[in-house]
Amino acid sequence: MNWAGAVFGASAATALVGAVCAVGLKSIFHNILGFALAMLGVAGVFLSLGSDFLAVVFVLVYVGAVAIAMVYAVMLSVPLDQPARPRSRTKVAGAALFAAIGAAAIWLVVRSAAWPPATGRLDVAAAWAGYRFLRDYVLAFELISVLLVVAMMGAVMVARRSRASAEER
Amino acid sequence: MSPALYLGFATLLFGVGLYGLLQRRSLVAMLISLELMLAAVSVNVVALTTLTGHDASMGQVVALILVGVAAAETAIGLSLFVAIHRASHSIDVETLSELKG
Repeated sequence: MNWAGAVFGASAATALVGAVCAVGLKSIFHNILGFALAMLGVAGVFLSLGSDFLAVVFVLVYVGAVAIAMVYAVMLSVPLDQPARPRSRTKVAGAALFAAIGAAAIWLVVRSAAWPPATGRLDVAAAWAGYRFLRDYVLAFELISVLLVVAMMGAVMVARRSRASAEER
Repeated sequence: MSPALYLGFATLLFGVGLYGLLQRRSLVAMLISLELMLAAVSVNVVALTTLTGHDASMGQVVALILVGVAAAETAIGLSLFVAIHRASHSIDVETLSELKG
């Protein structure tokens, strides 16, 4: 097994274990930690594809920012000592069944589609991706900037306590 | 490395995320599941453009845009979560039924 295959195997296993922890465990803190582990694994998968810049971005954004923001939101709100109500078995089984059907349908499509023949890995230099971003896809680049600014302002507006409701208290 | 390995991994990740989105009741856990599904999509795009495509930097561009959209979505989702918790002292989606007729 070559280098990329070993990296892919290890990081795919890490990502799947993290995803199962993120979904299956009871405590919301354990879910967030599992999510961070899953995103580390996905970054490793990108590394095995030769996309090192994307791997670094995933670690920075998901592990470094999104997971921390989730921890902040949970600490601001959830009463952690309150036990979760038990979940009815039929709903869990239904969710598992539906997810299995969805994944099986996707896998059937993957198997039946005629993919173009593998050309071997094309390594992408981060500089080339950046060049494309500022030449061919500059509109998408600017739209992402606008989207992030609007989302940030919207998040502040939604989450802050309005003056009227603060006076009511 | 064949693309089918990466596509299979992404399918599994997407399935786990879909299960979490359907099964969990906490809004934060549903947001986490949504992020897992988005990450699976990014893996698909990057794997297909890198292994079979002729333009591998296109996949990088799409994946970076997806990261940006997911970050914006998380910011909005978490602020909604804080606001909902402040209004109703619960984040359980099954108790948020005030709009039910």
